[in-house]
Amino acid sequence: MNPEHLLTVNGERRPYPTARLSDGKPRSIMFDANACIGCRQCVEACKDWNELPRGNQYKINPSTWLTMEPPLLEGIASIWGRNSCMHCEYPVCAAVCPVEAITKFDEGPVVIDQSLCIGCEYCVYACPWHVISKSDVTGKATKCTMCVDRISENKEPFCVQACPANALAFGTVEEIFAKVEERAASFGGKVYGKAEAGGTHVLHALTQEPEAHGLPRLEPDRYPKHDIPLDKKIKGVLTMTAGIEGKVRAVKNAVTKPWRLKYRYWHTPEPPR
Amino acid sequence: MAAAPALQTHPDLFPSVRRTPLPGGYMGKLLRVDLTAGRFEELNLPEEPILRRFWGGQALALYLLHHLLPMDAKPFDPESPIIMMTGPMTGTGLTPGGTKMTSIYLSPATGYTLGRAATSGFWAVSLKAAGFDGLIFTGKASSPVYLYLDDGRAELRDASAVWGKGTRDTEDLLRAEVGHQDAKIGCIGPAGENLVHAAMMANDYNHFAAHGVGAMMGSKNLKAIVARGPRRPPLRDKMALIEAGKRWDATLRRPGKDANRDVGHAASWGAMTKHNWQTTIINADDNHGFEKNRIVRRPCFQCGRMCPWDVELGDGSHPGTLAHFDAGSEWIDTFFNLDVTGNDVLYLAERINDLGIECSHFADGAGLAFEAFEKGLLTAEQAGGMDLKWGDLPTIERLLEMCARREGWLGNLLADGPKELAEALGGEAMQWVVHTKGGTPAQHDWRPLIGNMLREMTASGGMKPQGGGSKDVPPDLKYRESWEPLSADKADGWAWSHILSEQYRQASGMMGACWFAMNPGVPDGLNSMVDALNATTGWDLSLDEMLTAGHRSMIMQSVFGTQRGWRAEDDYTNIGPRFLEPIPDGKYQGFTIAKFLPGLIHEYYRLSGRDEYTGRPFKDTLQKLGLEEFSEWSEAE
Repeated sequence: MNPEHLLTVNGERRPYPTARLSDGKPRSIMFDANACIGCRQCVEACKDWNELPRGNQYKINPSTWLTMEPPLLEGIASIWGRNSCMHCEYPVCAAVCPVEAITKFDEGPVVIDQSLCIGCEYCVYACPWHVISKSDVTGKATKCTMCVDRISENKEPFCVQACPANALAFGTVEEIFAKVEERAASFGGKVYGKAEAGGTHVLHALTQEPEAHGLPRLEPDRYPKHDIPLDKKIKGVLTMTAGIEGKVRAVKNAVTKPWRLKYRYWHTPEPPR
Repeated sequence: MAAAPALQTHPDLFPSVRRTPLPGGYMGKLLRVDLTAGRFEELNLPEEPILRRFWGGQALALYLLHHLLPMDAKPFDPESPIIMMTGPMTGTGLTPGGTKMTSIYLSPATGYTLGRAATSGFWAVSLKAAGFDGLIFTGKASSPVYLYLDDGRAELRDASAVWGKGTRDTEDLLRAEVGHQDAKIGCIGPAGENLVHAAMMANDYNHFAAHGVGAMMGSKNLKAIVARGPRRPPLRDKMALIEAGKRWDATLRRPGKDANRDVGHAASWGAMTKHNWQTTIINADDNHGFEKNRIVRRPCFQCGRMCPWDVELGDGSHPGTLAHFDAGSEWIDTFFNLDVTGNDVLYLAERINDLGIECSHFADGAGLAFEAFEKGLLTAEQAGGMDLKWGDLPTIERLLEMCARREGWLGNLLADGPKELAEALGGEAMQWVVHTKGGTPAQHDWRPLIGNMLREMTASGGMKPQGGGSKDVPPDLKYRESWEPLSADKADGWAWSHILSEQYRQASGMMGACWFAMNPGVPDGLNSMVDALNATTGWDLSLDEMLTAGHRSMIMQSVFGTQRGWRAEDDYTNIGPRFLEPIPDGKYQGFTIAKFLPGLIHEYYRLSGRDEYTGRPFKDTLQKLGLEEFSEWSEAE
């Protein structure tokens, strides 16, 4: 993935809705694991902006869309990692959604439309980072939105502005590519998120191997292999997951865009571009 | 939860049904815990006009205490309450400093003035997340208990498994016991259990509510308060609060790259308490080994000031020790006062925090013990057979244990306090002691600093003082104040500067904000806080009204003392003589604030609307502040 490619991405067909928020310039978040002190102000800021319940902040759940790994208390730890939506350039969560409830915005965010989601959980299982969870209250899938509402007003995500340790940054893809390379080089670390799963819009400068930061090691293939459980697939096909209205939308989608079905039912990863 | 019999008070104080709208920022509930009966009573917060006068924090808590504390109660009597209160800014998450919890009670250190213990971190935020703005503890449990609050539910649980444990183990064990990693814990160590007069409550590892609240909890057999929950305070104008919070954040001072590798606050003016205040000179290698420490900042909830820090000691007698500290550095002066240097200072500071003893209480007691031993006034027998050798780490560690557990003659007196030890030793020891009204000043050598000395002396002894006048007019107050920069060796102007600082510091605590996150020395330092409070609550307060609110709190605190026999002259008569001696050496040698006394103290009371001898407020002061209900305690003009 390179910036030029990103800028022309809207010319190709994608298996999910795409849309533009404002100027269409793709943006990214940078996380510097070397600068992070594990204070979790980003985690609480996420909750504050999105008015998610307090507490329960040590693992991804419908009220916590961003966690810091490992799930230890704040303070001295030898290593920290950021765990949240990576805002993939090729979001497999969006590709498997039977009702096209997940949109990839030109500016970077991958966003679940709560009014469209039918709660089938395909995205929850498809996400290679396991950062989507289903709310017991609403029955819908939830995750980080990259503060899409703020980005549409040309503001940075709330987690980024909250970081007191200068471990987070936000900017255009070009700016963040340059910054993450510079940060990683400054402490002899590695960049993560640039190639993984075909590239993402959250780039990490890591001090150690990804696993040590709580991140999966992923190939550069787009739309990585996933394992949506058979019972979820059968349930999705045979039942009214979200009532008649949801079923109608899912069937209509399958009929009008049959080429999307492979991402759910007989998917193989696609080579990187 | 079992209901406790209803409190009999004015209907506006705890209205059974609110008649006025609840301002933003408040959860709207207090929990009264009757420890004797093991019962709870959920109380509505006072009506809006009372909230608008007192906001929250120490002022609202004190207003309630005025109604709940019997006039003749002693600190450790079961009917003597502890009132813990957040403020509307606590836990919004959108400003720096929104972390404050202040406890208010009759001081066990002085026995006759107000006790005020403030703490930050995360615990106060969790109390609001559990659904409560504050807690009122009365009575005494028949055996050790801890209070567990989880999303509006309250339980009193058996604490026998953690009784006797230090604050660190207690926090870990209780978090494991309740089974929720997000539970936040305020607890006491052995010092609180054994009623060490200045015992602390520790919370979130790095934070300590000093000045006797630990002893108050111990006297009620209350080991800890554990809180968690999903709730957040409602906000009147979230976007305006975010904007004000950003402005406030921009005013913060932040730790530099080499923070916490020097000898702390004392370095900024160049005088350190050493050898029981007998020398002040800071040597270049006093901080030896600090450069080898691994230090990580551990900021409070959503605050960019980043005061708290964790450290792994890189050398000294106990390398590898993990220690947790907050803002300030009184604990460094504490052990320098006993002639320890280097990383052993930080090791002992971690020990004192684990035991839960306020550092200055120990510093001035143990400092006196060492000096008295050296000069033959304290015997080895009184010292439990120990040779009190200055700077000896095992001796000091043993003394800490003896103090926390009231072991032996000396341990018992160290637990009572430096004044009590001096009185027991008698003779010249009375001249060597540092105390303020039986409590202790924050452990720094304030003696060269007029504004800070005034603060330490006029603060209710045993209470963390508030304020400390600035040399220059705070930029945000230039619309109403003007003075030339104050001189470090002349008294002129310091009284008024201190009064102003006390007002805005008090206001900070009242809104539930930490005054370490307040920076009045830069433009917007105060205005951004007022705007944040207004955005949160929906009020339309001005900066003038913020100062008036702070003034209200000051006066109410001294009325509390007046009711129990305090007089203004106590500030300069009930004080350890060494605190007022000419500075023995160093760059400030020979200076003493004593030459300005009692004039400076008189000026302070006069300018703040109180009688200079009795300390009682004038009637018109009470009237201006809307405190007419305290008129019977006023001074006739």
